[in-house]
Amino acid sequence: MSTLDSKIPEGQLSEKWTRYKSSQKLVNPANKRKLDIIVVGTGLAGSSAAASLGALGFNVKIFCISDSPRRAHSIAAQGGINAAKNYQNDGDSIERLFNDTIKGGDYRAREANVYRLAEVANSIIDQGVAQGIPFARDYAGLLDNRSFGGSQVSRTFYAKGQTGQQLLLGAYSALSKEIKAGTVKMYERREMMDLVVIDGQARGIITRNLQTGELERWSSHAVVMATGGYGNVYFLSTNAMECNGSAAVQCYHKGAMFANPCFVQIHPTCIPVKGDYQSKLTLMSESLRNDGRIWVPKNIEDAKAIREGKLNPTDLKEEDRDYYLERRYPAFGNLVPRDIASRAAKERCDAGYGVGAGFAVYLDFKTAIERLGRDKIQERYGNLFQMYEKIVDVDPYENPMMIYPAVHYTMGGLWVDYELQTTIPGLFATGEANFSDHGANRLGASALMQGLADGYFILPYTMQNFLADKIHQPRVSIETKEFDEAEKSVRAKLESIMAIKGEKTVDTLQRELGHIMWEYVGMGRNAEKLTKAIPMLADLRKEFWSNVRVTGDMNSMNPELAKALRLADHIELAEIMAKDALQREESCGGHYREEYVTDEGEARRDDKNFMFVGVWEYKGEEQEPIMHKEELNYEFINVQQRNYK
Amino acid sequence: MKLIKFASITKKIALAAFGLFLLLFLPVHLGINLCLLREDGGEWYRNASHFMGTNYIVKVFEIVLLASVLLHIIIAILLTIENFLARPIRYKVATKTKTPFMSRYMIWTGGVIACFLVIHFINFYFVKFDLVEGKYSADMEQVDKHFQEKAIKLQSGELSEKEQASLMAQYQAISQVSMDKMDKNRKNLVNLTKDEVKLYCGEDFKHYEPDFYNMSLELFANKTYSIIYLLVFVVLGFHLFHALGSLAQTLGLNHKKYTPIIDVVALAYAVIIPLGFAAIPLWLMFML
Amino acid sequence: MDFTLKIWRQENQKAKGRFETYKIKDISPDCSFLEMLDILNESLVNKLSHPVCFDNDCREGICGMCGLYINGRPHGPDDAVTTCQLHMRKFTDGETITIEPWRAKPFPVIRDLVVDRTALDKMIQEGGYISVTSGGVPDGNAIPIPKHKADQAMDSASCIGCGACIAACKNASAMLFVGAKVTQLALLPQGKPEAAIRVQKMVAKMDELGFGNCTNTYACEAECPKEIKRSNISRMNLEFILAKIVSEETI
Ligand SMILES: Cc1cc2nc3c(=O)[nH]c(=O)nc-3n(C[C@H](O)[C@H](O)[C@H](O)COP(=O)(O)OP(=O)(O)OC[C@H]3O[C@@H](n4cnc5c(N)ncnc54)[C@H](O)[C@@H]3O)c2cc1C
Ligand code: HEM
Ligand code: FES
Repeated sequence: MSTLDSKIPEGQLSEKWTRYKSSQKLVNPANKRKLDIIVVGTGLAGSSAAASLGALGFNVKIFCISDSPRRAHSIAAQGGINAAKNYQNDGDSIERLFNDTIKGGDYRAREANVYRLAEVANSIIDQGVAQGIPFARDYAGLLDNRSFGGSQVSRTFYAKGQTGQQLLLGAYSALSKEIKAGTVKMYERREMMDLVVIDGQARGIITRNLQTGELERWSSHAVVMATGGYGNVYFLSTNAMECNGSAAVQCYHKGAMFANPCFVQIHPTCIPVKGDYQSKLTLMSESLRNDGRIWVPKNIEDAKAIREGKLNPTDLKEEDRDYYLERRYPAFGNLVPRDIASRAAKERCDAGYGVGAGFAVYLDFKTAIERLGRDKIQERYGNLFQMYEKIVDVDPYENPMMIYPAVHYTMGGLWVDYELQTTIPGLFATGEANFSDHGANRLGASALMQGLADGYFILPYTMQNFLADKIHQPRVSIETKEFDEAEKSVRAKLESIMAIKGEKTVDTLQRELGHIMWEYVGMGRNAEKLTKAIPMLADLRKEFWSNVRVTGDMNSMNPELAKALRLADHIELAEIMAKDALQREESCGGHYREEYVTDEGEARRDDKNFMFVGVWEYKGEEQEPIMHKEELNYEFINVQQRNYK
Repeated sequence: MKLIKFASITKKIALAAFGLFLLLFLPVHLGINLCLLREDGGEWYRNASHFMGTNYIVKVFEIVLLASVLLHIIIAILLTIENFLARPIRYKVATKTKTPFMSRYMIWTGGVIACFLVIHFINFYFVKFDLVEGKYSADMEQVDKHFQEKAIKLQSGELSEKEQASLMAQYQAISQVSMDKMDKNRKNLVNLTKDEVKLYCGEDFKHYEPDFYNMSLELFANKTYSIIYLLVFVVLGFHLFHALGSLAQTLGLNHKKYTPIIDVVALAYAVIIPLGFAAIPLWLMFML
Repeated sequence: MDFTLKIWRQENQKAKGRFETYKIKDISPDCSFLEMLDILNESLVNKLSHPVCFDNDCREGICGMCGLYINGRPHGPDDAVTTCQLHMRKFTDGETITIEPWRAKPFPVIRDLVVDRTALDKMIQEGGYISVTSGGVPDGNAIPIPKHKADQAMDSASCIGCGACIAACKNASAMLFVGAKVTQLALLPQGKPEAAIRVQKMVAKMDELGFGNCTNTYACEAECPKEIKRSNISRMNLEFILAKIVSEETI
């Protein structure tokens, strides 16, 4: 399976999707009822897909890791969602959104997919409004927009600082409607444990009931992975506690290839780490960079004085402040893409200008409050400011906020073709779980766009195309030997973890993993660090399998066991992340190799040798995985060096 | 468990609607009570009572009112039970949530009012139905008329011996009636017991009415009763204070502009009405 | 900071629960409440006992997964926060902290501090949505919506479904939760066509599930981490009256 066929339709970029839709195969309503689909994950991608597929008439089962779909990680997205509506008349268009997304992704995304994304984005807004999502409006009662990093137009739609919440609740309501109608069945507190492949086709999954510990089998004609990203490999990230890459690893083991694992986005505006008890990091929305200005002291002595508590930042004179983003990137200023803003912050802190505990920079609203008034700022960001104050105990209206970059999003994921199908027929991946649209760096407000585009407007078409050939395929029994084997191997894994009874808690090992990843496979990578990390990770894996301590039993609710299972997979994921990072000898997007920089200290891409997707194939335990390349051909876009100056 | 098959909100709205009716009635009742304070020997008060006791529209109103009280109480009790059952296992630590104080005790303040209503009904309302004995009054003109009729019958020899005797006794009694059995204007016989009614007005005299005026004065002459009465009205004040705002909330009247006004009105109502009622024993205790 | 914790422990739904007391030392005031429980759990694992189960996910106050009844208040002593946003600086050193699960008939305990809140989803499934399917909808700007209406709808829509309103209410009533959804959709023109039927169905489900009634005590409003106002309940009552009296649609 070494040739990767991305199945991009022929024709002009702007015609590909239309052409696909008009020639794809359809399933008639009577047959839809005979076809079963399993959706794993209830975030934007999963909920929207299940709702749309259910409404079409397919038999859908959706598996939710918590008690309700509304808990999924997507709920936390704050800032907004992009669409090229051009309501502001500021020159936006599908082409521009497409261009910005490709450029933001540092030319490592697939052209046709991104164009399709830009094309369907407008429908998402319409869909949301129809669902009753209270998007922000102006005084005329029309939809309002704000700006996000990496673009020069205002195209981001938002609902206060809770856009993800509102969009997810929209998808959740669509899902609820289908559950009521009986087309979708929801199973809550279930975690996927394994994929079942029969005759080369994904035909079911094994889940564990987190409430009772029971293992259960489910069969279907197709499986959709909407299980989100794997940012929690770093332990500390802005991801929710239940986010994990475990399901993706299960698919990888069963033959689905994993693309670009090293592409991780570090978000520039998070609340800095406070202590080693910390369990997660909180994001301060990128939208804050609309009005906030980022700075550190100009003089290293001032920075030192501030760190020691001898100097108050508000006392520092304007001319003693270094607004380093405005200085280095005058055209985009504080609104440069995330990877650039993050690296710039790290650069300043590494050079000794950091504030707080040394790993923080200021995000200051003084100018904005003077210009717009406190009320306006409160209206725009009130809940974020309140959140900041609750956590840090400092009033951000009076004092500048302190922020520092943190792991936020994973561009990498299961490899999918144009139809969002993985290398296992019948296994689809959507949302953050796939790799398709963001290249090496994701622009703000486009993850929500992608997850919903996939779920509402793409999968319902492409899955039909696949399922049209399966109408004669009977439902498969869950008593087949493939199911037996899958369940047996899961049970064996659980038993072996319970049997270790070692010395180290899951949290301890998780922190160790996070530490290795942040230090060696983090924001600034180099061959030396990476070659060190790989054996360290292998050791950690051994340590886990010989020394982890999980108490309780496996036949009841046991979060510790659930965490341990995920950790085992995360260590494995970390290994391919490191390998992929080592292989990619260039700096692009979120992947920054310290050896590959321009004279000005900016990232240096190598289009000649690395304009491809790194696609990893699992070869078995204790075997080296193999990397395949999907070459990226930019037919329609003019590849440039990214320049935000 | 749903004790009656109405939607929760339906029950709640019914509770509020009956409560509203009670709210409207209270000022009327207060108006009548305040007539007690007029030093007219109870003339206004008596007229008002008479009107309330005889007018047909008021009679319909009275039935609705009684039903309101009963239904308000029944629904309140049902809801309280249902609400209690909605949390079978209770918290160990009592709630520390800040809530309007009175709202938490509506069933208790209501209960106190209900108890008082029982006493109140025994003292006054049931007298009307002859369920308990009270004090009565009779219009002198009526008594006179009745007497004249009897006298005519006597002359025509239609009265039995027994009736003759009683008519004589009545004549004697009425000619020696003491001043305190007459009202100021000498229009009514007042403050009569059942026996006295028979004595002064004749065995089969039907036109006597409960003498609420004197019954009240007598009750208020009792210090213990007055104090209980005052306390009950403080409690009523508490009930009313929450009731009015709550009523608006229940009936869907929550408005940025009007809710603050309603809150002020609720406070005013909850102070003025009980104060009005309380003024009577206070006046009688301290001013007279 | 040092604390004495009294925590409700219960093996499963059927088991009889009890309070267990734990001592915990050297907690930073900047530590969040759940991180404090993480530390406790790590020590329990080290002692080979079963850690305390509690629900959580986002840990930034938006998913509504966390929810503990702490010292007599849902989400603890701070205002307008979820349990995950509560910090130990809100307690005094040496304090005894009693932690209980949400208590309500429709919220059975699953284990320790974890309760089953699927009743909330069941109420939404009765009609807490606008019945559109993907595609075939008008342009987002086709119907202008007055800003203040959109803002009000947003305030109602910011409910995170944590259930604190129900936990706080002396009657375990879900009226704020249902009211917020009914109000959000009733305020918007898109939600109007189904308004009459929606409120009737959702209220019927709420009753069926065994939630209590509202006695206008407003504990829900006081404890809602998102500060959702009681006007939502009032609005629902109004919608209900209109639906029952004016509308011809019945359920
Ligand atoms: C704080 C924050 C703010 C953000 N803000 C924005 C923004 O403003 N704009 C924007 O566009 N994007 C934003 N993002 C990114 C965006 O929210 C996510 O990328 C997106 O929501 C992912 O959606 P999803 O449906 O693919 O996955 P998720 O929402 O992560 O859903 C996946 C679900 O699957 C579950 N799951 C995982 N494994 C299993 C398993 N084995 N079995 C069952 N279930 C499983 C997970 O627990 C999760 O609930 C933000 C992200 C964060 C963290
Ligand atoms: C003069 C007498 C009374 C008046 C004017 C009155 C009025 C009201 C009003 C207007 C309400 C508000 C309804 C609402 O919440 O929407 C109320 C609530 C209540 N009343 Fe009364 N009431 C009276 C007597 C009683 C009695 C005798 C009881 C006895 C049990 C009682 C019990 C309650 C209770 C428990 C509530 C709150 C119920 C709830 O909010 O669900 N009330 N009352
Ligand atoms: S964990 Fe999500 S709200 Fe607390």
